[in-house]
Amino acid sequence: MIRSVNPLAQEPRYELIGRVLRENILSGVLPRGFVLLEGPIAAVMQTSRVPVQTALRQLLDEGLINRFDGRGYLVGKGGGDVIPIRRDIRELELEIPHAVDQALQTRGTWRHVYDKVEEEVASCQIFGEFRIVETELADHLGVSRTVVRDVLARLQERGLVRKSPSSHWIAGPLTARTVSEKFELRGIMEPAALRLAAQHIRYAEVEALLDRIGTDPGITPQYLGDALLELCIAQAPNAALVEMIRSNRLLLSSVDRALILLGLPRDEDTIEQYQTLLDLITHHPIDSACEYLRYHLSITARRYLARMKIVAVIDETGSFAPYLSPQ
Amino acid sequence: MKDDAKSGLATPLIVSRRKLRVLGTSITLLDPVRDRARADLGFDIAFEKMDFLTCQRQAAMAPESYDIYEQCFHNLDIVWFWGALQPIDIGRVPEWDNISDLVKLGGVSKYAGRGRGDAPAKKLYVQPGGFLGPKQSRHISMLPTVHNMDSFGYDARVFGAGPDVRPSWGWLLDRRAKGRIALVDEPAIGFFDAALAAEATGEIEFADIGNMTIEEINALMALLEERRTEGYFCATWRDGVEAADLAERGAVAIQSMWSPVYGKLRKARPHFVESAPSEGYRAWHGGASLSRHLRGAELDMAYEYLNWWLSGYAGAVMARQGYYISNPQRAREWLAPEEWAYWYEGAAASRDLAGPDGEVAVKTGERRAGGPYIDRARRIVIWNTVMDEYNYAARAWDRFVRRVNAGVAA
Repeated sequence: MIRSVNPLAQEPRYELIGRVLRENILSGVLPRGFVLLEGPIAAVMQTSRVPVQTALRQLLDEGLINRFDGRGYLVGKGGGDVIPIRRDIRELELEIPHAVDQALQTRGTWRHVYDKVEEEVASCQIFGEFRIVETELADHLGVSRTVVRDVLARLQERGLVRKSPSSHWIAGPLTARTVSEKFELRGIMEPAALRLAAQHIRYAEVEALLDRIGTDPGITPQYLGDALLELCIAQAPNAALVEMIRSNRLLLSSVDRALILLGLPRDEDTIEQYQTLLDLITHHPIDSACEYLRYHLSITARRYLARMKIVAVIDETGSFAPYLSPQ
Repeated sequence: MKDDAKSGLATPLIVSRRKLRVLGTSITLLDPVRDRARADLGFDIAFEKMDFLTCQRQAAMAPESYDIYEQCFHNLDIVWFWGALQPIDIGRVPEWDNISDLVKLGGVSKYAGRGRGDAPAKKLYVQPGGFLGPKQSRHISMLPTVHNMDSFGYDARVFGAGPDVRPSWGWLLDRRAKGRIALVDEPAIGFFDAALAAEATGEIEFADIGNMTIEEINALMALLEERRTEGYFCATWRDGVEAADLAERGAVAIQSMWSPVYGKLRKARPHFVESAPSEGYRAWHGGASLSRHLRGAELDMAYEYLNWWLSGYAGAVMARQGYYISNPQRAREWLAPEEWAYWYEGAAASRDLAGPDGEVAVKTGERRAGGPYIDRARRIVIWNTVMDEYNYAARAWDRFVRRVNAGVAA
């Protein structure tokens, strides 16, 4: 998950743009009569035109700019005496506060919007199949289509969206079969990787972790699950296999997060299961740990499938974002 | 469980009001049952009655709102896994040994067919890890009580009468009933009526009708949608009152049916008859579960109520609306010999028989379709089921139902 720290990064993009224009009008950098055009402003701010339109409408309401008999808006009050100044805004030395600039820069990348979109796309899938139109998503987020494509490419990597034969972006439906297949793959790859990793597991760290179970409240099942992956399975000397294991898990973890946000009870492995597993890894022949891991995954799969049934009680009314069109 | 401290605080309050809250459906939440239980048990009992789906949602998401949940076994896949219920200790159920093998083993005898889908045995026992399964253990998910083998009802003037008529689930998609077909709107129930129909007509063959694949679900929904646009379906219904109304108005020539509805028919009675489908029955098994919040004195009250359910009276009330109980011999003590003969043995009624509300439900000389209990129970082909792809199927079904009810043409 990627979260930004700049407080302005949470502010709507049009607010940021409006703020910059307002300050430059008040300080005189943008002189009375200057013609404001959406395109060049969007270029300066590195955004799409949609938030620029909104910002300009806001400034119009505030009386800071006016319409005239031409394309765009005039800075200042209208009237016959004003001669439109047609210059490229990029030639002016606009003052853009550092924090605003940074926020806009962050906005310009897929990172800023990704988490929210992933959450919405993952959760919609339990309701069926949806189409995502790039332009609608861009408008909804107030970002350019380039950013939207970056976001969709990452969702595609996670298996959350795919392209239909007619090149439409499609999400869902998430079925029990998809989940079963993912777990079947986990059952094949993860014990195999663990076996390969036997000589490379970071045993000292696993031992230290085992010692902390029961005394350290920071040790949650989730924490142990991550440790199992990082300290043991991912130590397999086969980067391609480890990469496949990681990407195979992405859909499952996105969906799990989405289900919890929809109100499903949290499902967690028990600390005891991981304790047994880590203990087998450190103190016994690796075969026994591989068998236990396979068993542990089959139980997890059964629980996950049970969760897939209970989502049926969640009402779909108002449960998905406007850029998702039910198919 | 974790909230012992919390229930410790709440206990005195609950003891002082001595009221048991039961959430369920019209299947078991009948006034005569509640009134008798109140009198026998000496504490107050409040019934909250809902349709299947609303009831299921409330049970899963608001377990604090009830003490006892009376529903069906197939529905445990939802409510149990939400973590809304607590296991029942069969050591506290004296009648346990008298509960029939239909629920414990999955069939009325060793050789009887088992039926596809969620046979109650598969959801009965609590297994390690909190799963439900058929392997016997001391704890169960739901105390098995009422059950039945469902079929459809049809207009004998349309489909014919007499011993040569062989009712088939395929009639639910039959041209003779076009525009006058209704299904029960419950994706673990009506969905299977439609599936049995599609298989009976030969239009779809399911590898396992009790656990369909996405392709099979899509095929079934496409078939239903095709028939819908051709105008085959006139309605869906969610409770017996709606079903009775459709039959009484003459709106349907065939529809999914529940046993108590036959007893309520007046105008439609002579011609709207219960079927014993040649393919076999779709069965269900109900029961009562404990909400997860119950502790101490509250829990004791809940067990008293569960045990009361198996003490005979409730089983007799259920029999009068055409439902069987899991320990029939205790119910028999509360039934007149003629009632037992009609409802359980398949004999012709030797006099008019009253339903649970006291109104005549069966006329002298009538005989129940399908014959005695054992014969009907041997012919279970599918149980009401929450399949692996339930969420997918339920949402597809819901879209279909909405289109039927909106009367959308295409």
